[in-house]
Amino acid sequence: MKVEAKGIKYSVSSKSKSKTYTYTKSQKLFQRALKVIPCGIPGHFSPAPFVPPTMYPFYAERSKGSHFWDIDGNEFIDYMCAYGPIVLGYNHPQVEKAAQEQNSKGNCMTAPGKIMVELAEYLTDTIAMADWAFFAKNGGDVTNLAVMIARAATGRKKIVMIKGGYHGVAPWMQGYGHYGVIEEDVANIIDIEWNNIKQFEEAIAANPGAIAGFIATPYHHPTFADSEFPADGYWQRIRELCTQHGIVLIIDDVRCGFRLDIRGSAEYFGFKPDLACYCKAIANGHPISALVGVDALKTVAAKVFYTGSYWYQAVPMAASLATLKELRRLNAPVLMNKIGKKLFEGVKKICASYGYDFKVTGAYSMPYVRITNDPSNMLHQEWCAECTARGAYFTSHHNWFVCAAVSDKDIQKTWSIADDVCKLLKKKYGDKF
Amino acid sequence: MDYEFIKSRLHLYAVLQNIEDLVQYDDVAKKLIKDWNIIIKFSVRKAGSVYLIFENGKCTVRELSPKKPDIILFFTSPAHLNKMFDGKANPIPLKGITKLGFLTKKFPKLTERLEYYLKPDDQKLKDKNYITINTVMTLNTALYALKELLLFDPIGEHAAKKVKGSMVMMNVNKGPAVYIEQKGNTFEVHKGYAQQPLAVLEFNSIKIANDFLNGKMDAFSAIASGAVATKGHIEWLDAVSPVLDRVALYLS
Repeated sequence: MKVEAKGIKYSVSSKSKSKTYTYTKSQKLFQRALKVIPCGIPGHFSPAPFVPPTMYPFYAERSKGSHFWDIDGNEFIDYMCAYGPIVLGYNHPQVEKAAQEQNSKGNCMTAPGKIMVELAEYLTDTIAMADWAFFAKNGGDVTNLAVMIARAATGRKKIVMIKGGYHGVAPWMQGYGHYGVIEEDVANIIDIEWNNIKQFEEAIAANPGAIAGFIATPYHHPTFADSEFPADGYWQRIRELCTQHGIVLIIDDVRCGFRLDIRGSAEYFGFKPDLACYCKAIANGHPISALVGVDALKTVAAKVFYTGSYWYQAVPMAASLATLKELRRLNAPVLMNKIGKKLFEGVKKICASYGYDFKVTGAYSMPYVRITNDPSNMLHQEWCAECTARGAYFTSHHNWFVCAAVSDKDIQKTWSIADDVCKLLKKKYGDKF
Repeated sequence: MDYEFIKSRLHLYAVLQNIEDLVQYDDVAKKLIKDWNIIIKFSVRKAGSVYLIFENGKCTVRELSPKKPDIILFFTSPAHLNKMFDGKANPIPLKGITKLGFLTKKFPKLTERLEYYLKPDDQKLKDKNYITINTVMTLNTALYALKELLLFDPIGEHAAKKVKGSMVMMNVNKGPAVYIEQKGNTFEVHKGYAQQPLAVLEFNSIKIANDFLNGKMDAFSAIASGAVATKGHIEWLDAVSPVLDRVALYLS
């Protein structure tokens, strides 16, 4: 078959070309890890959600551009980008040069480096709504700080958030029922559905003068379900209601940040939040996060005591400044969406030629993807695992990420793998799906 | 709902159903009930009731019975039933006084056998037959208990909101299986394989299932190492995992 997508022509031969990987060293190291680390690999890097885990690499050896290599020597085109932080590609020369130069001068010191001010200036110049910036390490650090500032500013307790939304791992973010979370942790959290203005209005009416903040991602991207963009006028109405009722509007731009719009995702959707949280894309893999806010909240932000041992490291700040400059130079959000559109529309055509519906939701730069033919998801899980074992790293849960370093050659190879796997599954299942 | 209530529901609907498998797999129990033709009702005030129907060398445990019971064992409260399971109280026979001999001599032999399989130790688990029966019972108990916890336990009720339209099957590779389906406002549990399960948690072997279900192995390690396979809507498995862990809070 042939696939054509803006500037790329691709044809697939009738013979399968790709071989599947093995992970002997990964498995062996994992067995060692199980003895000394709870569940071997904890947190969101745990292989447990992979289906099956045995078809995925567990440990990385090195990385460059859009690729990483595991400890068994297998090479992958990386469509997870370390779950988001890699935005320009691994080991980006300008970013690493800036980091090394700063490291030669100083990193973790008794006082912050000059670079902290330079970064804050550049960040506030880049993000449209930002008048000030506060730096930490992880996304959860700044979503938590945002909530503290909202409470300090309003003198209120309650926070409205979206069901299925992810803002980090603090107990209030995880929700009741998760291990280690008690009812009191979430006593002041009100969950409402995404895109449901009525529920927000009802929450305000039921809690007069008690809601401190509303926190949500720019669009809804749950871990195990299709992504959903805001309905027309959704954010504008949320903004109106927040302003009307003195509620701090917090946007969690940790995942979408600089993957939709270089000026911040709120600009993309045409509204102005009071606080915005950034992390993943701001330093291309170096550990730093940022909370930015409007001038009206700067004094309160100054009063909230919030800090960490490594939050003033100068190297990640230098890396972040270099990353942001490169993102702006490339207009990377537009570029990544262009790459993603070309790539995934091509895969969609390949899948369709085998009768498989490859559904893409969310932005092309970070799409949630699933093959819808099988309601149990098992066909999709098998497709992702088989692609991964041939070198196109796709998870069957969570949204994927496209970095700016994905090349036409990567796209061609991905299409070839996708075709091989579709062929394999068609042969295996016939017209069952 | 309070602790005693939930615990009594687990005793009624998750523990007693094991008699079905006990008389099927254990030769001693099978021989004991061979000629029984009797229906026993366990009735617990403010908790529910269940019928143990013995006929044709089999036992079925149901919430409803096609015939009237021969014996009714009444419990004045959920705590009363729970005390009986701890060996610290006796039921009140409301019907079947003439069958006191059966109740005091024959039936206890069966419940002793049930207790034998539901209280494993390292020595017993070395026996292949024992570990198989214990695993079947633990697997079934887990999903029947899951149903009750999703309906009444505070954390379970939260999890229930995340598993709308779900059907989750747990099985041992080439071995026993049980599945739970969300239906309307409740859940249904079925023993055996589902035709088209939407989420599967499969244990590689009886030993792995036994270790996993008895809390000797954490889910993440077991799945990542391949000892346990998951597929389908794994978000449902994720949602019910903390609930399954709560079974031990009531039944340990």
